[in-house]
Amino acid sequence: MHDDEILGKAYDARLMRRIWGHTRPHRGLLLLSLLVFPLATLLELLQPYLVKIAIDEHILRRDWPGLGRIALFFLLTLLALYALRVAQAYLTQLTGQRVMHDLRNALFAHLQRMDAAFFDRHPVGRLMTRVLNDVEAINELFTSGVVSVLGDVFTLTGVVVIMLGMNWRLALVTFALVPVLVLGAGYFRLKARDSYRGVRTRLARLNAFLQESLQGMAVIQLFAQEGRERRLFGSFNADLRRAQFRSTFYDASLYAGVEAIGSAAVALLLWYGGGQVVAGALTFGGLVAFLEYTNRFFLPIRDLGAKYTVMQAAMVSAERIFGLLDTEPAILDRPATGAIVSAPDGTGPAVEFRDVWFAYEDEQWVLQDCSFSVSRGQQVALVGPTGEGKTTVARLMTRAYDVTRGRVLVEGRDVRDWDLRALRRHVGLIPQEVFLFSGTVEDNLRLGRDGAVTADEVESALAAANAARLVAALPRGLQEDLRERGVNLSQGQRQLLAIARALIYNPRVLALDEATSSVDPESEALIRAGLARLVEGRTSVIIAHRLSTIQRADRILVLHKGQVREAGRHAELLASGGLYSRLYELQFGLGRG
Amino acid sequence: MSTAHRLLRYLLRYRWRYAAGAGCLVLATGFSLGIPWTVKLAVDALGRSAPVGRYVLIILLLAAAHGAARLGSRFTIIGAGQWVEHDVRADLYAHLQALPPAFYHRRRTGDLMSRASNDIAALRMLAGFGIVMLIGTSLTFLGTLGAMWAIDPWLTLYALAPFPALVLVAKRFNHDVEVRSTAVQEQLGTLSAKVQENLSGMPVVRAYTMEEREIAGFGRLNREYLARSLGLARTQAVAWPMLGFISGLGALIVLWLGGKAVVDGRITLGAFVAFNGYLSYLAWPTIALGWTLANVKRGLASMQRIVEILDEPEPPQPARPAPGMLETGPIEFRHLSFGYEGRGPALSDVSFTVAEGGLVAVVGPTGSGKSTLGLLLCRLFEPPPGSVFIGGVDVRELPLDRLRRSVGYVPQEAFLFSRPLRENVLLADDGLGDDRLEAVGRTAGIEADVAAFPDGWDTVIGERGLTLSGGQRQRVALARALAADPPFLVLDDALASVDAAKEWEILLALRAAVRGRTTLLMTHRLRAAEEADHVVVIDQGRVVEQGRHADLLAAGGLYSRLWRVQQLEDELANA
Repeated sequence: MHDDEILGKAYDARLMRRIWGHTRPHRGLLLLSLLVFPLATLLELLQPYLVKIAIDEHILRRDWPGLGRIALFFLLTLLALYALRVAQAYLTQLTGQRVMHDLRNALFAHLQRMDAAFFDRHPVGRLMTRVLNDVEAINELFTSGVVSVLGDVFTLTGVVVIMLGMNWRLALVTFALVPVLVLGAGYFRLKARDSYRGVRTRLARLNAFLQESLQGMAVIQLFAQEGRERRLFGSFNADLRRAQFRSTFYDASLYAGVEAIGSAAVALLLWYGGGQVVAGALTFGGLVAFLEYTNRFFLPIRDLGAKYTVMQAAMVSAERIFGLLDTEPAILDRPATGAIVSAPDGTGPAVEFRDVWFAYEDEQWVLQDCSFSVSRGQQVALVGPTGEGKTTVARLMTRAYDVTRGRVLVEGRDVRDWDLRALRRHVGLIPQEVFLFSGTVEDNLRLGRDGAVTADEVESALAAANAARLVAALPRGLQEDLRERGVNLSQGQRQLLAIARALIYNPRVLALDEATSSVDPESEALIRAGLARLVEGRTSVIIAHRLSTIQRADRILVLHKGQVREAGRHAELLASGGLYSRLYELQFGLGRG
Repeated sequence: MSTAHRLLRYLLRYRWRYAAGAGCLVLATGFSLGIPWTVKLAVDALGRSAPVGRYVLIILLLAAAHGAARLGSRFTIIGAGQWVEHDVRADLYAHLQALPPAFYHRRRTGDLMSRASNDIAALRMLAGFGIVMLIGTSLTFLGTLGAMWAIDPWLTLYALAPFPALVLVAKRFNHDVEVRSTAVQEQLGTLSAKVQENLSGMPVVRAYTMEEREIAGFGRLNREYLARSLGLARTQAVAWPMLGFISGLGALIVLWLGGKAVVDGRITLGAFVAFNGYLSYLAWPTIALGWTLANVKRGLASMQRIVEILDEPEPPQPARPAPGMLETGPIEFRHLSFGYEGRGPALSDVSFTVAEGGLVAVVGPTGSGKSTLGLLLCRLFEPPPGSVFIGGVDVRELPLDRLRRSVGYVPQEAFLFSRPLRENVLLADDGLGDDRLEAVGRTAGIEADVAAFPDGWDTVIGERGLTLSGGQRQRVALARALAADPPFLVLDDALASVDAAKEWEILLALRAAVRGRTTLLMTHRLRAAEEADHVVVIDQGRVVEQGRHADLLAAGGLYSRLWRVQQLEDELANA
């Protein structure tokens, strides 16, 4: 079963306790609304009593001025009730919205801590549902779930107390129907719930079928299977309709049944209460008030079903939200460390891979016993046939993933012993695809370092990256808005901005994944020059796709089948006639001929 | 025809159910109005100290009749709404089946799904519960006013005096609420765009240690969302209790002026009680009115979105499907030029022939236009007239399903259904037996894999079943194309995910199995081309070379370069 199909309990003590925990900063508000509720209920229940007094004391005694006083009092209760209802509605929303606001912040911040492997497993769409929709469902707990059930409890209690107080015999007669109501409502409620579940599973099945049809429509058409698929769909569709009708049957019966029992209670009241009036044990006004109270007694019971469904949905959402919050990131800071390794004055390698094994899944090794080192200030080009290996090297250097076996050392220290942020400040990873955030060009250049970068630094980085001209050509320069992640920029322009961004970030070690997408020759020349300035004097590990990069590199590592198979300078490797010479011919010789 | 008319046509199919439902609602309203009236009679009887037994009985009967009529109305109308939903959904599905791939290139699956689920749900609400509410509230309004009028016209007017204020207030607040909820929705859109951007850009966020900045940015948007939500909450908090307040004013007027009427002897105490009862009947429909109207509006908007799909033109279909397959024959492309909508030419002046029973390989770099040949042959996209022939006939003149039944087409993207393997392979004709299943499984090189699966050919695959590897999927798709024994075969890079050795094995088996079938093979692996009778080399939509493998190799053109690339790749793979 899909997790979206599950309908659980309407009340789960464990989940409620956690939600209660999240209301802690807003307890004051919660208490206030708990005060308002009984007051409002009290006023509401006062009204039928006023009618009773009006009838008994004034109308039947033909006391018109007295009736005016009661009417005035009635008006006052109306005004007060209005004020209380406003306060009540706003207070519950205020609490609910604030709790939601906090939960969204908590979820978002939690997601920022999660590791890359987590995002491989969880599609973006589902995580968005957690942060936005599931949190919204929690609000229902406040506006129409717990709080309104609480309100109903107050009303029911109030009605029972008042009725018993007014005339306990008559009250008991009215309540005689309650067991019938509870049993009947309970039975139909259960049936309605089961049939509703049936509707949901059938709907999910139908939608899954439909989705698959839409994706595979070409296959259906190619095999001329439209008729058969239509009949299959038709049977799911008919099945759903039948389930819906069954659900309607129980829903409507429940509703009509409660109403009929309510009317029967009125009849009972008239019969018994009428006798009491004749006998003088009950006033006319008392009887009328009783009729009204009975009405208010049955309303909340009738609406219980809808609230049950709301609560159920909220519980499912709460389960998912807390499930996400309880997922700990696989990559965590070592608490004991913190300081950035001081200026690299030693002679050891800047980056070293020692017998590294790594697999994204199970035993499908991407790196197997891979070892190499990069000295300080050296520019190393990684080449190899397509595969995950090269990009993985760059990812492991910044600890986006942890090695399965072996060690990755940066400045002689295992990356797992680094403070995560310090490591990522030290080793800058420039991914292949240039990702631009919505916001201005300047925001995209400064990224993490708003305060620490001066305007001059931005200018000189732009100049060094050959991006100054392109920014100047934008109507609003640095303040130009990059809508929808920079779609208004060309591939070449995006790459130039990425180079400028890396220059501003200014990491000691660079892990650069060169873009493969081809750009026009003019942009290519600009990018090549910009990249040369970026890597100058910087320890760099470059996943190379440019001829200029491998020609310039101090050392080339040939990565194949998870291992470094050849290493050396371009000319040497080419002369030795090994793997590299074949790769070179493939990538720069023939393929582009 | 307007959207409302389209909807009406569906509704009219169930006119008798709706009519019966409306009848039930009339009865239900009548019975429910009878109850306060009987209470009036009973109270008046009590005033005379007369017995009330029979009124009690009448109320019980009215309550039962009311319940029954209410049930009847819901079964008929909501049931009819569900039928309308069923019919619209069925029509939508049938129509979607007739739409060409070009449509699916234009539309995202998510958007289509949303129309087929959310919009249809909104339509059901309109056609079912929405209509119950529309008819029910109108009847309640009219009936209740009539009953109150009958008791005392003046008191009715006084009691209703606050209601125009109610309408005004509702109108003003409705506008306010609409403005504010639009603002909330907009901010929600901004917020979700932010989350989406952050999650998709997570590698960059991590690399540039932007976490704090992102959290702060989200926090700002979240705070604004809170502020706007609270703005809406304030408006609603002020507006909603107003409804209760104004109907409370009505009760106050009845208490005061109605009380005076009793004091003056104009009406009886029973009438006073009944009047109060009727007034409370009015409160709920007033509150529900806004909801009902919004429901109708939303349902019509949804119908509009569904109609948009229903109005997508279907490609012309022959009047009667012609069963069976074509005789075998040659495949011919004559000066074929073709471009996808909104893009440059994909194929320019392509001409070549696959002789009857022959095997022609089309090779070329990725994006050279190879796949387009297969799509046009099966008319997934419409080729220009007089350019693609099968068995000597222009494909455009053949009945679509006869053409497609005759061509076994294996695309690179092997789409399989989440059903048992057996159903996937026997998709074209489930009348075929296990012998055929085994035979095509053997040819496609999948039989050993299937034997290892838990339920063999009955293993369910896909999202809720066994996940197949890319190579396995392609081999199943190949078996599927072979199952019905079509006279023509098109393999579009159909074994790209199968490893080279296995591919070779399958090709040999296939060579024996396809004997007598006219086969068009598109591939970027030249090993397969070596086996062909004739090789066509395509680059950027043009035929640059064609001939036999050995001749092309000797010519030293693109084919020989591609051959060298493959050689290098093989060497690297084995290094």
